[in-house]
Amino acid sequence: MSNTDIVLEICGSAGEGTISSGEIFNRYISSIDFEIMSFDTYPSEIRGFGKCVAHSRFSTQKIFTPGKYTDILIALNDAHSISQLGHLKDTGVVIYDSKPPKYHEEDKSIVGWMEPGMISYGIPFNDLAQKAAGNSRGRNMVALGAVCALFGVDHEEFKNTIIQRYAKKKQIVIDNNVNSFVEGYNWANDNLTKIDSISFKKGKNKNEKESIIINGNQAVAKAAIDSELHLYAGYPITPATKIMEILSHELPKKNGIMLQTEDEISAIGNVLGAGFAGKRSMTATSGPGFALMTEFMGLSVMAQIPAVIVNSQRGGPSTGLPTKTEQSDFNAAVNGGTGDLPRFVIAPASVEECYDGTTLAFYLAEKYQTLVVILLDFFLSNSIRNIDEPTPPTEKMLNSNIAPNEKELKDYVRFKETKTGVSPRSIPGTPNGMYTTTGLENNERGKPQYDGKLHTKMSDMRYRKLNSALNDVPKPKWTGPKKDIDVGILSWGSSAGAAYEAATIANKNGHRVAVLSSLVVFPVNEVDLTKFCNESKQILIPELNYSGQYANFIASYINRPVERLNMVSGLPMASEDVLSKIDEMIAS
Amino acid sequence: MDNFKINYIDEMLDDVEKKDFLKYRTGELPTWCPGCGYFGITQSIVQSCNELNLKNEDICVASGIGCAGRFPVFMDVYGFHTLHGRSVPVASGMKLAREELTVFAIAGDGDIMGIGGGHLPHIARKNIDITLFLFDNSIYGLTKGQSSSTTPFEQTTNSHPFGNPDQPLKPVSLALSYGATFVARAFAGNVDQMTAIFKKGITHKGFSFIHILTPCVTFDKVNYTWKNLKANVEEIYDEFDHTNHTEAMRIAEKSRLYTGIFYHRYDVPSYQDYLKQK
Repeated sequence: MSNTDIVLEICGSAGEGTISSGEIFNRYISSIDFEIMSFDTYPSEIRGFGKCVAHSRFSTQKIFTPGKYTDILIALNDAHSISQLGHLKDTGVVIYDSKPPKYHEEDKSIVGWMEPGMISYGIPFNDLAQKAAGNSRGRNMVALGAVCALFGVDHEEFKNTIIQRYAKKKQIVIDNNVNSFVEGYNWANDNLTKIDSISFKKGKNKNEKESIIINGNQAVAKAAIDSELHLYAGYPITPATKIMEILSHELPKKNGIMLQTEDEISAIGNVLGAGFAGKRSMTATSGPGFALMTEFMGLSVMAQIPAVIVNSQRGGPSTGLPTKTEQSDFNAAVNGGTGDLPRFVIAPASVEECYDGTTLAFYLAEKYQTLVVILLDFFLSNSIRNIDEPTPPTEKMLNSNIAPNEKELKDYVRFKETKTGVSPRSIPGTPNGMYTTTGLENNERGKPQYDGKLHTKMSDMRYRKLNSALNDVPKPKWTGPKKDIDVGILSWGSSAGAAYEAATIANKNGHRVAVLSSLVVFPVNEVDLTKFCNESKQILIPELNYSGQYANFIASYINRPVERLNMVSGLPMASEDVLSKIDEMIAS
Repeated sequence: MDNFKINYIDEMLDDVEKKDFLKYRTGELPTWCPGCGYFGITQSIVQSCNELNLKNEDICVASGIGCAGRFPVFMDVYGFHTLHGRSVPVASGMKLAREELTVFAIAGDGDIMGIGGGHLPHIARKNIDITLFLFDNSIYGLTKGQSSSTTPFEQTTNSHPFGNPDQPLKPVSLALSYGATFVARAFAGNVDQMTAIFKKGITHKGFSFIHILTPCVTFDKVNYTWKNLKANVEEIYDEFDHTNHTEAMRIAEKSRLYTGIFYHRYDVPSYQDYLKQK
């Protein structure tokens, strides 16, 4: 069976059903066993005719990026869709409304903007929807009907997906959508002559495991619930808000609480309070909110109280670009705060890792009594994938607090020195386990004290935790050749996807390109890093920020120059971007 | 020392043992200045816990930064000395995590009338079941005598040598406006009344706000001194209807410093009780 790898975009105004039709398309495509990587773009305006794009890449192969160039563009709104032509393939297909509604700008028909070689199919979305349902709201379904007719998709199965999507709605809504869909399907079958060569009937072989369609934020929320989260405290902020909204539904079912706080300071304060009281708690935010949490981050480390913060990065600095993706909070996550502040930083590279990274975060925070930052980004938060049902945390991961035993409780010393740096922590309600913790430097019993010897000893203990934990976290993922590497890519976070794909292509072209990417970006596993670098002739660090934050950081561990690929276009990194950099490096 | 003093100290020590409140204290000696009102407040809190039969391990205390912030260090309970102004959110998290615990937030005037002032309206309207003890000495003591948000207008302080240009906040009026369901004021020099108020506040199901007047014997020799406070405080009269918000607001605005329970509302469910109804 030949490989299928197609990018489809649906573009329209807010309110035209762009995103929901994308969702239905994804559901169907997933049900016929394609790999999906999907991504929605919303307007920053709340109302009005802002541009929405539902972008879906689906493939019979494993994919890691949403794909840079589009094969099929469905233009629900011509004026908005024109700019999408910029990344339509030379022989790409445009499906557009041949008789658009009056409120669309007349002089902006997409056909006039298309390059020669591109293929267009005009379908009267508006008229057909009117005919099917008496109003034009089903335009998006007409378009999906046409897609089924044009590309050989099983329209009966697709219809069932639509019915399932609207199952909770009134019958009239289901009927209108289905009728519009069928109208579009029949019209396209009767009136269109296929001149492109795209078709997608069936994906790869049926997967044994149950698969779910989920985005990064949903994966984090699901992992938090599975990790027995008790308190979520947060303040709404794009692109993290969805985590809060999901948990507000899910936590009450588990007797947990979603607390909407007055600001991010209160959110993280509540997280530490619940952590102190022995329950798992978390908050999720983005750049501006993360900045406000800095002081409490220090307290978490100093007072040795678990805290989990998700920072879904937007473009920065300051309020920045709330709906654009960037990886520019690396410095803030790793170094943010005052004083010597050891913490864990987890940077998932994919939706799957969003789940695994979150369960790991709760485990580490509780076991090592400290702060864990999870770095997502706008793209990862919103990128939709169909993944295998993830593996829930083990019993060991769920109960990771090291509590004092009876003997230790006879004369309890809360911050007793240990080899691992972790002192047994008693939970309120435990008789004879009373202690006071503080943000002041303190002795083994928690009493504030400032002498230099003590401060040295306690700093050492706090840092010792990181070393102890290195054996407790997954090792960095090394893909590609193990020896004689032409270009070794050190990758982190969501741009790792582009690195994987680029490396795969480069290796097919006869080069030797490997990728090292770590779920836990801080502390650094220096053994693997050094080994990887020693095997690599050249090193490349691609990341979505201007100053090369990760490259600068890595430079302090490896004593050699690295090539950088920095982009701040607000878009996720594409494999083409990394590939051209690799070619350039190998050629030089 | 003369015999009278020795006898007096002996009597006090007997009293201490009888009241059995040393069990809530660690061996740590408080760092507060001799004569500070915080000793009396601490005694009252300890006495209230004792009279309410609270177990040490079931008490959680979150404090802010400042002289009052040190409170949990001297207490044999689960204590968390947090950040400046942030005792309230931390206490809130403790309660939301473990409803069975008794949770206190300890704050100074700098904490909750200044830097952490933004938390007060929200803890009040959420009605989370914690008790906030505001140790109000109307000055920044730990940083040595700068104006706070409750320092009287025109008082000279180390940050305002030509007189404080700012009007003071009125903690009780604010708490009443924010919808706190239990609002009281106590005076550090009146341990019996203070203890009675604290006990009511601790047992109130919902957010309790207790404003405690206390002098700073080191940095305020002019306004809120022991002498002036004693002359200015007055217990709220017995017949006072503490379910009447308008009346509470009226006496809170008086220049005379009333002490006692201003307002006690029973019909608003605590945050967690509300969630349970849903």
